[in-house]
Amino acid sequence: MPLAQAILPALLVVTLVLQAAWPRYRLLIVMGGAASSCLATSLLGLGHAAQILADVPWDVLVILVGLGLVSEVFVESRVFGVLAMRACRWSGADPRKISLLFAVGMYSHGGLVNNLTALLLILPMLLGLYKLVGVTQRYVTWSIGLLLVACNLGGAATPIGDFPAVLLLGQGKMGFTAYLVRALPATLVGLVVIVTLIVYGVRPERGLSKSPVSAAITVDTMTALYRNVRVDRRMLVPAAVALGAMIVAWMTLPADKGWTPELICWIGAGAALLVRPSLGERLIRRKVDVEAVLFLLGLFVMVVAVRRSGVFGGVARALVGLPIPPIAQLVVFVIAAGLLTALFSAGPSMASLLEVADALARVHPPNAVYVGLALGVCAGSSLFTTAATSGPLAQALTERADLRDSEGRPLRFGFMEFLPVGVLSFLVIEAVAIGYCLLCVHYGW
Amino acid sequence: MSEPAVELPSGLDQAFGAVAGELGQATTAWLFVRAVARCAGDGGVASLAERAGPEYPVLDAVARGWLAGLRKQTLDPLPVLAAIGKANRLVVVGMEATPLDALMERLDPAVKVAMITHSPFPVDWDRVLDNYAGRIERVDLDTFQNWAGGKSALLTFAYGHGDTRTVVPPLWLRACGADVRAQFRALVAWNVLEAPLQLYPRWLVEIDADSFTHFVS
Repeated sequence: MPLAQAILPALLVVTLVLQAAWPRYRLLIVMGGAASSCLATSLLGLGHAAQILADVPWDVLVILVGLGLVSEVFVESRVFGVLAMRACRWSGADPRKISLLFAVGMYSHGGLVNNLTALLLILPMLLGLYKLVGVTQRYVTWSIGLLLVACNLGGAATPIGDFPAVLLLGQGKMGFTAYLVRALPATLVGLVVIVTLIVYGVRPERGLSKSPVSAAITVDTMTALYRNVRVDRRMLVPAAVALGAMIVAWMTLPADKGWTPELICWIGAGAALLVRPSLGERLIRRKVDVEAVLFLLGLFVMVVAVRRSGVFGGVARALVGLPIPPIAQLVVFVIAAGLLTALFSAGPSMASLLEVADALARVHPPNAVYVGLALGVCAGSSLFTTAATSGPLAQALTERADLRDSEGRPLRFGFMEFLPVGVLSFLVIEAVAIGYCLLCVHYGW
Repeated sequence: MSEPAVELPSGLDQAFGAVAGELGQATTAWLFVRAVARCAGDGGVASLAERAGPEYPVLDAVARGWLAGLRKQTLDPLPVLAAIGKANRLVVVGMEATPLDALMERLDPAVKVAMITHSPFPVDWDRVLDNYAGRIERVDLDTFQNWAGGKSALLTFAYGHGDTRTVVPPLWLRACGADVRAQFRALVAWNVLEAPLQLYPRWLVEIDADSFTHFVS
């Protein structure tokens, strides 16, 4: 066992470091790491590949694929584009209002649809808008940074927003309503504080010329670009009804009677796709995020292997045995979750730390531990652009847009540009997470 | 150009390039000129022509036309419909939103329409086609010849007409080679500018107006 406790965690850590260092070969590295873990468990007598695969939480993968497909139906209805155009008109192309509206919009989208889908839809429109308005490096840095953080907070706000929360739901650690009523207010507090600090404190639009000409051109152009684009209600309504029915079912139907979250998602997504069978078939064939599914599958395999070595139990025992008050143990755990996520990204951190959280949940209120973990992971996702897949995506989309300032200098959004936004957001979300845990323990929620 | 030039925000040329592919250069030029005139008067339009005109000659032509008293874009799709005649398939080469919208309103719904989705500017083609609610199909340079035939027409937009020469999107030359010309019933150019360009036709290419079967002014 000591050999297994050295080899299997080492395989996991080396794989995570390699995939972070060479993101171009991410899938190859993670699938290679998963195969190596299976080989190691077989040789060390900890179980064959079939046993490891049987322990993979397939329910989580089903939920991710199902929700991703429902998101794609919303995309096809053109609702996001029309909303973005209306946001531009409502804001009168005022840069401050644009930041504010898109941050709030991104938070709402992030809570209901896949973060990457939301970002892929919204960011190109926003970058186009920036070209019309005419922006500075300061504005690009803080407004896109705010968008990413709002996206992460939205993902943590609901049990279906992002992988960490989906994992809690899929694994039955928390029910839909139990998570929602705790995480939604906490993330809203985080959003309000961060938006206030950035929009009214940092004021990204400082230095931008407030010309009525730019505003008029921007509003007229956006109106022209969407002049005849209409929301396809035949697609939007069934998808919204299906998602609404799924949420009601998650909140009311008993999982112990077989109405498990993944089954509800499977049926709901299927119903949304069946409304337009030809579109449904096309979406299933072309729009399933195979990269994300394979990445998570590889991670799950490695985490299952490490769990079989007993390392997670040891870490949990060490944490619980720390000579500090129990509440301080929880605080250490939440901070560690944030820092590990910043280094290794949300998927691996959440999958590994959930094992430790289970042990902590025996001595602390489980809701405090699990929601604290989800918030800690959200904080870590917001620290560096590399901590969540939305960061590199935002960077790539910004580079592709070839934004320039009024002097023709290229505007960038990369690791260093995001860092001040990331540090501020990390501190605020960690503070919210710790505050939430303290309140939970104090009032016994 | 009687009005004195006024200061405009910088970056308008970048803004023009960001949407010229999606709305078309003439449509975008009219949109910019109207917005600038509304906020900064004719002096603003003069400044716009001075600043962004050399990079975008269509914008320059529209702005100068505005200052010369041409305040409305006059587009009549009826001669274009006549030129297309009995064609039941139409391939559009290049993009101009205002003329194309006007044409699509009048075009017989039985006529199938496709657009070659290619531009030197960044374009969200899904959004372009969403504006036509499924009426226009997407084709590329490799596949548009599947639309050729005795009842097919090619349509492009021209930017001004000199004695014998006109200016069209470079895509027209790539699409309409010697092999393609014989495969379509009509090769139609629709002139969307009142006056010929005064500057070097950047982003465009000059060709003989009689290389089209129909040139609609």
